[in-house]
Amino acid sequence: MAAAISWEDARDQLKKWREESARRSAETLELGEFVLTNHRGLGDEVWAVHEQVCIAALDVGDIAEASSAIDALKAQFPQSKRVKRLQGMKLEAQGRFDDAKLVYEELLKEDSSNAMIRKRLVAIFKAQDRIPDAIKELMKYLESFMADHEAWLELSELYIQEQHYSKAAFCLEELIMSNPHNHLFHQKYAEIRYTQGGTESMEIARKYFAQAVKLNSNNIRALYGLFLAATHLASSQKGTAKSKKDNIRYAAWASQQLQHRYRLAERKESEPQVQHLEKMIDSLQITAS
Amino acid sequence: MAELLLDPNIRLWVVLPIVFITFFVGIIRHYVSLLLTSQKKVSLQQVSDGQALVKSRLLRENGKFIPRQSFNMRKQFFNNEESGFFKTQKREGVAQNPMADPSMLTDMLKGNLTNILPMIVIGGWINWTFSGFVITKVPFPLTLRFKPMLQRGVELASLDASWVSSASWYFLNVFGLRSVYSLILGENNAADQARLMQQQMSMSQPMGANPDPMKAFKAEWEALEICGHKWALENVEDELIERSPTPVVPYGPHNFLSKMKVK
Repeated sequence: MAAAISWEDARDQLKKWREESARRSAETLELGEFVLTNHRGLGDEVWAVHEQVCIAALDVGDIAEASSAIDALKAQFPQSKRVKRLQGMKLEAQGRFDDAKLVYEELLKEDSSNAMIRKRLVAIFKAQDRIPDAIKELMKYLESFMADHEAWLELSELYIQEQHYSKAAFCLEELIMSNPHNHLFHQKYAEIRYTQGGTESMEIARKYFAQAVKLNSNNIRALYGLFLAATHLASSQKGTAKSKKDNIRYAAWASQQLQHRYRLAERKESEPQVQHLEKMIDSLQITAS
Repeated sequence: MAELLLDPNIRLWVVLPIVFITFFVGIIRHYVSLLLTSQKKVSLQQVSDGQALVKSRLLRENGKFIPRQSFNMRKQFFNNEESGFFKTQKREGVAQNPMADPSMLTDMLKGNLTNILPMIVIGGWINWTFSGFVITKVPFPLTLRFKPMLQRGVELASLDASWVSSASWYFLNVFGLRSVYSLILGENNAADQARLMQQQMSMSQPMGANPDPMKAFKAEWEALEICGHKWALENVEDELIERSPTPVVPYGPHNFLSKMKVK
């Protein structure tokens, strides 16, 4: 890949990935090594590329490459905490979690408001598969950094792993508030509520699936969710006649939307999926009722 | 009034040098201030206060997207009379008096050193060296009101207002070159990145420093107190169905709705 593109393109691609913080480690490593062969052309950007390559190398387990990048950075910035963090990450990659923790705790003593290092502590627990500890650490972090949305998302993932759905739902609510126009947050929240079960949660799930569809009418998963939640509510024993009727209406609408979407897709693909879909919707109905 | 003719030497030895001097002094000042600025330490407390305020603001603005129970839970977290965050957190006002904090004082001194001092020195020097004559003319007529602005140091009542004196030319340059600097020393240039690397800026710093958290907490408490919850998703399904009417499905026998009713 590196041979096929020019040096400038490789540099720009790396820069793009750096800004998007894309995790394409193997490619980053390859491009980075290629770009660093001509490090004069980079100017001051060279240090950022070194850091990027270092993290990518740690991600793919290339300790030697990471070490050389750290050495280069250390020669330039002997006092930098950011380089120390990289050293800690190297220890993590080598599996020496306790040593890495010592490094991070040392750094936190100097600057307790350093969010990136506190996140590493969570990552260590996660790497050791100690999810409850990771949750505890992340909660400690969130007490101070309440507006960090990435951290809320991470916490919700951890809670889902531990099957604490109501807590995961709380985290998703934070995310919805931080970005109410992201249909994926709505969809995920609805999925958690759907998993929780119960009439009340199911109604909320239906609403949020509907909101996700409203924000992005191509969200097929949310359409399925809307259909399932409405069907479930329509077939449950509780509920007034009116709510039942409404739910039937919603389910009907969702299934027709789904068929419509699949027919549109079919025109492009020329594979008869609508029949399968119809059968599936029928079967879903039977299981639900 | 007869047209004035200026010596071409004025252009070569006064107008252009003033432009170059102001420009390069600006560049030098930029790098000197880079050298002098000390990284502001933000305490964890300040960061978390700032983040709490952000979260509360988000709750007020986007709280309508979460269910009522969840909204009330969060509101209670901040505003509960006994245990609410804004009620229980006590901070003594930080930095009431900037003079009391020596680091603040040095910062102010450095700011003065890099901003005001060069301006006074260069301005004074230019005023002293090139005083007493006009050096250029703006290519459009101006009203008399512009005279004190453009002809500082030249007090001639009969002179047309579009002539510019040296001191005024200097100030025009100082303010006019700002956008040129931002073009050359822009925010995201490579020098900046290297600096970031060295100083290890934590990502949440801009929100951090708040002069008086208690005051901000009080204001946020009031704003949140009067903020009610109106669920945006109350009728979302019906809105959704109304907005995109059911497409016609040309599969005759398969009518989902009728099947559901039969059951």
